[in-house]
Amino acid sequence: MKVALLLFGLWTLDFGLSALHAASPSELFSDGTTAFRAADYAGAIKAYRQSASLQPASGTLHDLGLAEWHRGHAGAAILSWEQSLWLEPFNAATRGNLRYARKVAQLEAPELTWYEVVSTWFPANWWAWIAGVSFWSAVAMVMLPGILRQPKAAWHQAVAALGLTVFLLSIPAHIGVHTRSRIGFVQQKDTPLRLTPTREAQSVTRLAAGEPARLERQRGNYLLVRTSRSQGWVERGQFALICRRQ
Amino acid sequence: MQNPKFESRNPKQVRISKSDLRCRFWSFGLPSDFGFRISGFVILAAFLIPLTVLAQPASIPPQQDPLMSLMLSQPKVDITTNVTAVASFDPPVVGPGEQTIYRVAFNALEETIDWPKKLNAPAELQMEAGAHGQIIPMLGPVQVPYTTFNTRVRASATGDFTISEFKVQAYGHEVTVPSTQLKVVSNPPAASPILHLAIEFAETNLFVGQPTRVRAILPGSAGVFSQGLPPVQFTGQGVLIDQAASSQMVTVTSHDGMNMPTYTFQTVLTPLEAGNLSVFAQCFTGNRFVGSLVITGPAMIPAPPPPFTLLESAPVSLTVRPLPKEGELPGFTGGIGAFKLEPPKLGTNELVVGEPVKLAVSVRGDANVARIVSPTPPRAREWQILDSTPAGGITQSTPTDTISTFQYTLVPLTDEVHETPAIPFSYFDPVRGAYVDLTIPSVPVTVHAGEIPADFSTLVKTNGAFADEDEPVLSGLAASPGWTGTLLPLQTSPWFPIVQLIPAGAFLGLWTWDRRRRYYEQHPDVLLRKRARRALHREWRALRRAARDKDAARFAGSALNAMRVACAPHYPAEPRALVGSDIVQVLGSNGHSDTVRRFFTVNDASRFAGKSSDTLGLLALQPELEKVLEQLESRL
Repeated sequence: MKVALLLFGLWTLDFGLSALHAASPSELFSDGTTAFRAADYAGAIKAYRQSASLQPASGTLHDLGLAEWHRGHAGAAILSWEQSLWLEPFNAATRGNLRYARKVAQLEAPELTWYEVVSTWFPANWWAWIAGVSFWSAVAMVMLPGILRQPKAAWHQAVAALGLTVFLLSIPAHIGVHTRSRIGFVQQKDTPLRLTPTREAQSVTRLAAGEPARLERQRGNYLLVRTSRSQGWVERGQFALICRRQ
Repeated sequence: MQNPKFESRNPKQVRISKSDLRCRFWSFGLPSDFGFRISGFVILAAFLIPLTVLAQPASIPPQQDPLMSLMLSQPKVDITTNVTAVASFDPPVVGPGEQTIYRVAFNALEETIDWPKKLNAPAELQMEAGAHGQIIPMLGPVQVPYTTFNTRVRASATGDFTISEFKVQAYGHEVTVPSTQLKVVSNPPAASPILHLAIEFAETNLFVGQPTRVRAILPGSAGVFSQGLPPVQFTGQGVLIDQAASSQMVTVTSHDGMNMPTYTFQTVLTPLEAGNLSVFAQCFTGNRFVGSLVITGPAMIPAPPPPFTLLESAPVSLTVRPLPKEGELPGFTGGIGAFKLEPPKLGTNELVVGEPVKLAVSVRGDANVARIVSPTPPRAREWQILDSTPAGGITQSTPTDTISTFQYTLVPLTDEVHETPAIPFSYFDPVRGAYVDLTIPSVPVTVHAGEIPADFSTLVKTNGAFADEDEPVLSGLAASPGWTGTLLPLQTSPWFPIVQLIPAGAFLGLWTWDRRRRYYEQHPDVLLRKRARRALHREWRALRRAARDKDAARFAGSALNAMRVACAPHYPAEPRALVGSDIVQVLGSNGHSDTVRRFFTVNDASRFAGKSSDTLGLLALQPELEKVLEQLESRL
């Protein structure tokens, strides 16, 4: 028992000290901004990346994309801005940056299906809450009047119908979110698109940094991706999804 | 004597002599010649045509490539002379920590010299690569290349230090650089200002793209241009030198009480990168010149004889900051400085739809205004606006400032407009560190309908098509971290379905409770029996506790209560209202009616007769009572 208490005390002390030393996401964001303004883009990238890993935020990812762009990393910049839009699709500045980057680098935007376009209307995670709240609201409006011994009013039925409609309309958006989560971007210049998932594989074509592709499946250190023109394998480190770092 | 062979010929055949044969050859083919034959003519043609063809080029003189002619007309560059290297320290005697230049000169082209990146030197000498360059002056009939490599050297201790001889490759051959000695003493002789190249910046804290004046000063020399040598060069990473803005002069200045000619080279430097940039000046110099001289135009002065010395200034560090993204105003085209806008001048204020009119706008400011780029005109549905500023701009210089003029061609597309559109324009003021709005204002106009040009509809259509397009630009930094969230979709999080189970469970519970409630409402007897059973169990437990505690009074009370609550649903009635006969009736003939009566009798006696009854005996009836209660429970 004493040993357990001692271990718990040490763990608590270590946790407390590490929490004291670790900078908060907002502090890291400020550090990144300071470094960016001093043209220390490498330092800015480091700070923004740490901040985003602790707490992904649209502004942090927006600034991370700018720093990456100034360092000449078009792929990383486009990925950061896409992630920023994933969290806050209403940000016109980020959208403009993506347009600018794609125009300068002569890259194309991902081709989205109609339900994927619908899913971009709101932040991806909003759809989950919209579906949950609308569905349970509809259920509540159907059930609660009877349970509470109240006559079913017209507004009960209206709210139930509205909730059910919103729920049904959110289903395509959910599918869109799911399929968009498989979209990623090439991170390195002249990334070879291989015919087979091997190092000695024949190169089908070479992809520019920032080019969009959809992840089909994985095998070892290689990812099968599909671009707008071709399909092939790329190394895991050369490709990153919007939803998670590879 | 006759030739027997000749004799054997046909007698009609006449012998043809050589002269006759020649005559026949030349007269071959003529109409008078009876020997004319088609085959002979063909043979002759076969000989003559090639001869004619071969003879034709000789008649037209060959056209020489003008570039080749130009190259051939240039004097030869001497690359055949044996390459020699000359090494020296400048100055050869310094104090500890003072800088001296280790200079090695070759009479070879710079590109052919494989200069080592690191020199072998004593550990006390700190070596840093300095300037390097070449000149190819005209010396006699040929141009002789001279290349110099400078190395900045600082000694950390006193003493004599020698850089031993070493070999470098030039023209593919080894060239020996002789050994050179540097003397480091505690009290070195004072450095002379003569031939000491210095660099001066108007400002060293700059913004990216901000032009600044830079001067290189060389006292004690008429300067490089008076010797036919190349002008001063400014060397550094990430800077742009505007050679068109350069000027050079020689004036007599006083240094340490001595009047001497001082050469000054002035130009404009623009940093292109942010950060700390190091810039130094370098130039070749030869002999000296005394007097004052100013040359404003191009001049050709023959080069002096060697040796040529590659001088370099101490590097100057520039602190260059990027232009802030915050506060950038529309119409910013990179102009940095202090500018003023003159009132715009329109060709005429009376316009006709479809007819162009010129708009001229002058910007007044310092010399930087010459580099300002005209703002992109806005896209408007009512106007077609074209930037018609000629390439290179229109710049005028006055004694006080410089004026740059932008020109736009405006075509009104409708007669409903009454003023020209304002053209967004701004510049960055480095002193204030902020963008300043300099929008070109509107000019009032009167537009008449007039005759519509043939291509007017196309103009309007084109203008409309581009009106909605906005040029994407890179934004500034976000002011705050913004919206937070997770990049993984919530639907894939393991806790999200669990959260959804909470309302599901709540609604299921509510529904079940409602169903039960409605059932009991329809079957109240079930509810009574259930409650009676629950009360029976409660009393049952109480009487057992009382029996364990030997508390006969409490045991008797609990027993009565248990029997009453178990029988109440059968009547139905309030349990307290039941008497022993009611219990016996429920139990029927097979019940333990005696046991029941005894309990009620003892209880009635203690309650109504006021005498203390023998309740202790009831404890002994617990087994029978248990059976009674089991019987009653089975009937519930």
